[in-house]
Amino acid sequence: MIDIDLKCIQGNFELNAKCSIDTPVLGLFGPSGAGKSTLLAMIAGLKKPTAGHLIVDGEYLFDSAKGIDLAPHKRRIGTVFQDSLLFPHLNVRDNLNYGFNLLAKKQQRLKFSQIVELLEVGHLFTQKPHQLSGGEKQRVALGRALLTSPRLLLLDEPLASLDVRLKRQILPFLRRAKDELKIPMIYVSHAIDEILYLTSQIAMIDAGKIIATGKFHELIHEQKVLVLAQSLGLENVLHTQVLEQHPNHGYSLTSIGTQLLVIPLIEAVIGSQVSVTIAANNIALSTKRVEGISIQNQLVGKVNDIQQVGTRMLVSVDVGVQLLVEVTAKSLLDMQIGQGSTVFCLFKTQSIQLFPAINLQ
Amino acid sequence: MTASMYLISATEIAALMLSIKVAAYCTLAICVPGIAVAWLLAKKSFLGKSLLDSLVHLPLVLPPVVPGFLLLLLLGSQGVLGQWLQQSFGISVAFTWIGAVIASAVMAFPLMVRSARLAISQVDKRLEAAAQSLGAHPLRVFLTITLPLALPGIVTGLVLAFSRSLGEFGATITFVGNIEGETRTLPLAIYTYTQLPGGDNAAIRLAVLSMLIALAALMVSDWLERKALRRIGQGLKHD
Repeated sequence: MIDIDLKCIQGNFELNAKCSIDTPVLGLFGPSGAGKSTLLAMIAGLKKPTAGHLIVDGEYLFDSAKGIDLAPHKRRIGTVFQDSLLFPHLNVRDNLNYGFNLLAKKQQRLKFSQIVELLEVGHLFTQKPHQLSGGEKQRVALGRALLTSPRLLLLDEPLASLDVRLKRQILPFLRRAKDELKIPMIYVSHAIDEILYLTSQIAMIDAGKIIATGKFHELIHEQKVLVLAQSLGLENVLHTQVLEQHPNHGYSLTSIGTQLLVIPLIEAVIGSQVSVTIAANNIALSTKRVEGISIQNQLVGKVNDIQQVGTRMLVSVDVGVQLLVEVTAKSLLDMQIGQGSTVFCLFKTQSIQLFPAINLQ
Repeated sequence: MTASMYLISATEIAALMLSIKVAAYCTLAICVPGIAVAWLLAKKSFLGKSLLDSLVHLPLVLPPVVPGFLLLLLLGSQGVLGQWLQQSFGISVAFTWIGAVIASAVMAFPLMVRSARLAISQVDKRLEAAAQSLGAHPLRVFLTITLPLALPGIVTGLVLAFSRSLGEFGATITFVGNIEGETRTLPLAIYTYTQLPGGDNAAIRLAVLSMLIALAALMVSDWLERKALRRIGQGLKHD
């Protein structure tokens, strides 16, 4: 349980963040300059708030009224930064060991070998940071932070400096860390697909204020959240199960609830979970099933919400899970689609992006 | 011109060894205080910071005779501190090689501080923040992150200080005089020979020696610096 009420004034920017977190992973989502990194720096103790308090698991880390300001090295809050900030003069093993060796034996809740295996960094031990690729650096940085057995892990846009392919390779490691180590995390990003892959619990931050907290699919019905989310690119993240593999035809057949979904071929065993993303503006709507069309995916569902965002309409369709579809106002009118209508959501297999499968031991 | 002009005499060797001894002790003596003052100036803001900064740099801009004279007033046998040292501990530094070390240390200190300060302030502060968030106390952060990363600049500072000490003349001769075997370092010996009829050959020999030592110091410094940069993965950029 984390109780945040922090204020920070610098120049004419004012941050006023209030929220309490009791979920394993919170996605902190907002445009650049909203104050995400400032908030994390205050939680870690690297930046001093002007006023307020911060309570983690009942312990006061900061309280301006009581005059408490715990030094960062005593907070036991781990941080993974956007540019890994590995120590350039130490090799990978010494980087991983840096915080781990400072812990007393009984504080070492995670085993060194466990983290090394989880993040697959064992073969890099003798390398120096400048010899690593961007993705390897971030894995080592994540391991270094995890090994301090933090009571809270802050991830400050850890994937922002990586290209899309690398991002998708790292995310499963974060998911593993979340599922296996049960360390609470605050994950900062302005990419909604990264956040939804890890958690549905988000906090929206804009212009120094937390404007909403809760489940993404519930918040999206609020206009101010919607406008912000839409401007950053709306993505649907679907967690599906692999049913059949068709390597000769280049696709995998998966299921989502009772419906079938054809996705690009993914390396995963039958029965395993895979996550995919599809952008809201890559989905088309139809009032009936379309025959004789190259589009493979036609998920049927009921419209349960329609919101206007500028000139676009955002339709929430319940296809077993919530699917966001972005269309023009005109097409909704022409098709006479309203709340409660049954619609088919059409999208090409090629417009689906894959997350690599996670192999949970 | 005879073969004897290439032969170095025992007194010349004594001057050479004394110079190296004084420079080595001087470098050792200013190493820790130099790093400490550099750290203060690079990282901290406090009352009187610009005064400290100016005081440290003063020997760099003053005629060397002035610091030498001030040292004599302070630490000489009639000086305030000198008398106290003499009476309390029976120590006298005036007109001894230790005095020569003190004179060179004062003159070389600003060079060391300038170099180390620049190096310390150039260490990425975010790396230090990362170390702190991993549970390291500020002193540990300094010893394990800041210092190793600033090492190339600190080594440069130490070599500069060593070379400055080898060349120290004005402050030394003013404070501890020109006593053969005790305070007559290379520059003082060269000066002495130039004042003696027929001393030119000896002066030339010592001048060549000075150049060789200075050259060697610079080469060692360059080698150490490249080695240190390689350790932090910056040396490869130029390859």
